[in-house]
Amino acid sequence: MSASRDRILAAAQANKPEELPLPTVPLFGGDATAERFTTVLAGIGGTVVWLDGLASLVPTLQKLFPDAQNTASPLFRGTVPVDAQTPTGILAAIDLAVLPGEIGVAENGAIWLPEANMLHRALPTVTQHLALVLDQRRIVATMHQAYALLPHTGGYGKFVAGPSKTADIEQSLVIGAHGARSLVVLLY
Amino acid sequence: MNHAIRADKFLLDADRTTWHDETLWFVREKRDKAVYAVPEFQELRELASQIKNHTLSRLDLYLREFEAAAQANGVFVHWAADAAEHNAIILDIIRKQGATRVVKSKSMLTEECHLNPYLLQNGVEVVDTDLGERIIQFRDEAPSHIVLPAIHLKKEDVGDTFHTHLGTTKGESDPQRLTEAARQHLRAKFLAGEVAISGVNFAIAETGAVVVCTNEGNADLGVNLAKVHIAAMGIEKIIPRLSDLGVFTRLLARSATGQPVTTYTSHFTKPLPGREMHIVIVDNGRTQQLGRPDFRASLKCIRCGACMNTCPVYRRSGGHSYDFTVPGPIGAILSPNIDMKKHASLPFASTLCGSCTDVCPVKIDIHTQLYKWRQVLGEANEIPASKKWGMKFMGRVLASTRVYGLGGQFARRALRLLPHGLTHAPSFNAWAVARELPTPPKYSFREWYAQQPQPTSQPTPQVPA
Repeated sequence: MSASRDRILAAAQANKPEELPLPTVPLFGGDATAERFTTVLAGIGGTVVWLDGLASLVPTLQKLFPDAQNTASPLFRGTVPVDAQTPTGILAAIDLAVLPGEIGVAENGAIWLPEANMLHRALPTVTQHLALVLDQRRIVATMHQAYALLPHTGGYGKFVAGPSKTADIEQSLVIGAHGARSLVVLLY
Repeated sequence: MNHAIRADKFLLDADRTTWHDETLWFVREKRDKAVYAVPEFQELRELASQIKNHTLSRLDLYLREFEAAAQANGVFVHWAADAAEHNAIILDIIRKQGATRVVKSKSMLTEECHLNPYLLQNGVEVVDTDLGERIIQFRDEAPSHIVLPAIHLKKEDVGDTFHTHLGTTKGESDPQRLTEAARQHLRAKFLAGEVAISGVNFAIAETGAVVVCTNEGNADLGVNLAKVHIAAMGIEKIIPRLSDLGVFTRLLARSATGQPVTTYTSHFTKPLPGREMHIVIVDNGRTQQLGRPDFRASLKCIRCGACMNTCPVYRRSGGHSYDFTVPGPIGAILSPNIDMKKHASLPFASTLCGSCTDVCPVKIDIHTQLYKWRQVLGEANEIPASKKWGMKFMGRVLASTRVYGLGGQFARRALRLLPHGLTHAPSFNAWAVARELPTPPKYSFREWYAQQPQPTSQPTPQVPA
């Protein structure tokens, strides 16, 4: 325990205002339809593709990504087996990762992706293209409902809303900054 | 040098100033569009404000709760009283790894502490990986905006910079191609990174996790490929519960850029086996600000930048004119706490129009605090003599009907008789530098009114036809 720790905590205690109440945050209602999710995702550069059941996953991917050489997924046998120990050099060559999403959020197009669904923590951002597979019944209206459904956030997890992007050069939107260049959400 | 003098430099290029002004206003308009689409947005602002007020009122307890939860997750927690200690802790962690290659994602705190020059001096290659930050790192400049660090530059400037540092074709200024060049360059840095440094948007007391929001994915890529993650946070980043993120993630990106949410909202809780995660909790003047009742609300800030995008002064003076890590209205209320003398002109870089307060997602009374800082600075004798005596003189004039009337007569006559070169001399009439004074009227309103015939009886109300 450092001297700075004690000084900071003592100063925070001495200087804080009188205690104020913590509000209860309502869940708020809202549109939780797949249509809303699809529209919002399109607005942030992602695409929704409907699957005719999980059995059609692989043929759909072959149609969407005919050029993908190196693929990784826990849902089917990809060309590159990936786990938490996979070296960086192998991860860097992956063209397409196909991962199961847990919860979709209609208001902002985000999908909760826990560590357990990623194969490797870096895979969702190091892959050139990302596809997330989501059960349409797992779409909720807002972030409040999404957080309420999470039992915990694990060691690592994230909401992913669309492909990686930047507007740091003259506010011009460019899709594909450092993470995945495209995001397809496969709904079933 | 004060804000006005630095702003003059920015204003030398009129076309660029206009572009800067219009571009940031466009971001403000995108913000409005996103905000109006959420019916409960004002309720969310109120909730966010209350959560932050509550957290500040129990800050020491939440910091302890956060520390205990993070340690239970296997995270090393460090405490830094000031910038020097923050920098020393981070260098020490890097040295213990024997590492020299560091990738860093956006962190205004590390800017505040001047971490980059310190690491470079000590033989550590630190690479900023946010595109805007990488651009200004190449140019050896400070960010001019907290969300859009390179907003003071045009694409041609970036093209020149990348031609010099990345070997892109001379004259190339297409944002798509320049971004691709940066992607290739930074991929190599990510893959080789030994230690990753990130900022923190939110630190959750109940889980000990830190949450980082980016659009580019650079924090996730850097942290998850490096062996060691160092997250640097100010003590005010704490929120009590995971569920509070429902409120803040709905406000942050909409207020910042008009996006419904950032592309990545990443929750870093535990390191993988064999890897390390460190959190550096920094004070650097924040507990002092907590002790100032008039100004402690500035600690509620979630760094969205909405107050900058809407500010008529910021938009026309540029972020560098503030000469502080956080520019704009929020910077003007944070900076005097750090160094009152150095930043004494910043609370005056405002029209007090209140637009900053209107857009603030956590309801900080920014323009009221700007006004209050002016009082503090006046008391402390930190305002220029011309302003101080001018204000005292005008106070006298405006307090007396007779002196005010005489002053008006004098001014009307003087404006008619004195030569234009004298009444508009920029040396003592700053107001007239870019404006014409109005033609003086023959009479004041009061003189005119006194000459009108007195009404004899109560006028009959006229009924409109």
